[in-house]
Amino acid sequence: MSRRWATGSLLILLCTPALAAPLTSNTALPVAKGEFVAREQILVRERERPDDATVEVNVLISVLGYGVTPDLAVFGVLPLLDKTLTPPTGPKRSTEGQGDLTLFGRYTLWREDMPGRTARIAALGGVIAPTGDDDDRDNQGRLPRPFQNGTGAWGGLAGIVATWQTLDYQLDGQLVYRGFGSDEAYRPGDVYRFDISLQYRLWPKTLTRGTPGFLYALIEANVIQLDRDVLSGARLDTGGTQWFLTPGIQYVTKRWIVEGGVQLPVEQDRNGNAFADEYIARVGLRFNF
Amino acid sequence: MHKFMFSPLMLLMAASAIAGPRYAIDVDGLACPFCAYGLEKRLLEEPAVERVETDVVQGRMLVEVKDNSALTREQADKAIEDAGFTLRSFEALPQ
Repeated sequence: MSRRWATGSLLILLCTPALAAPLTSNTALPVAKGEFVAREQILVRERERPDDATVEVNVLISVLGYGVTPDLAVFGVLPLLDKTLTPPTGPKRSTEGQGDLTLFGRYTLWREDMPGRTARIAALGGVIAPTGDDDDRDNQGRLPRPFQNGTGAWGGLAGIVATWQTLDYQLDGQLVYRGFGSDEAYRPGDVYRFDISLQYRLWPKTLTRGTPGFLYALIEANVIQLDRDVLSGARLDTGGTQWFLTPGIQYVTKRWIVEGGVQLPVEQDRNGNAFADEYIARVGLRFNF
Repeated sequence: MHKFMFSPLMLLMAASAIAGPRYAIDVDGLACPFCAYGLEKRLLEEPAVERVETDVVQGRMLVEVKDNSALTREQADKAIEDAGFTLRSFEALPQ
């Protein structure tokens, strides 16, 4: 396998919870005991490399959350991917299928509830199971490992998330680490990320009574450090440091939320000849049931 | 014309006459519509509860229970705690 095919991990895409909350990261808001929340998000990502190779990634991310206790919620995240790699010369290569399954728990460590507002801090921890195909092939042979839908390796995640929510706005911040083991001498790069999100109520402009739908404008920032993948001891040209800003909009009702936004790279320091993002567009729906 | 005006009013009066006891419950920590749903579901799982209306803006839930039934503060407290929120006040409304 040539290092020049390396596309970088897709795992940074998958921090997407199912609560009323940020578009690109997690929240500490509760899931009621015994209740389910779900989320479907469509993501379109365009990436490019200095030699003009491009990757287009379309993902359907499904999230299911369940409240085990008032403080403990568990989530499952499964992506369905469709990826196309266009090299500078030669034919395109593509793959589609399910990615790796992420299962994680979130435990509320501290909360302070007040009239019309709440502050919460929660810990996150979980596993990434290698459920995605890591041996997909086309007529040119096996696809490069970083381009496969699955990593082939077990991984884990740990982090902390904090939320301050009022009737007028919501602020969320998180620190998350994702690490991986090895598979066939391939080890995906570790991921470190810091995310912050502000959602500000645009409508209704003034609140009187009842439970109207809320229209929020949101702005989010993501700082992501993605280490290089390693294959047979060689460090691949993947990852780097990225800073995104995400403007978006969200309409929230009691039963469902519809939302959308675009992650725009502000600064990208890629590792060697690694791919960097042009944009990541997200639209989605969340629902209580 | 009078017939149309009287009919809804009479229905409303009849409905209040057969309604069970009602309670006003103030909840701390409730600040968005999406979070209210889990809270309503937890309260509706109480066997006595017939209907719940949430006022997110006021942080208040109006709970109506079945005729000849009652809701205790402890039951309301547990339902709200299970939903991840905090009971601030519990008041039985006059019939």
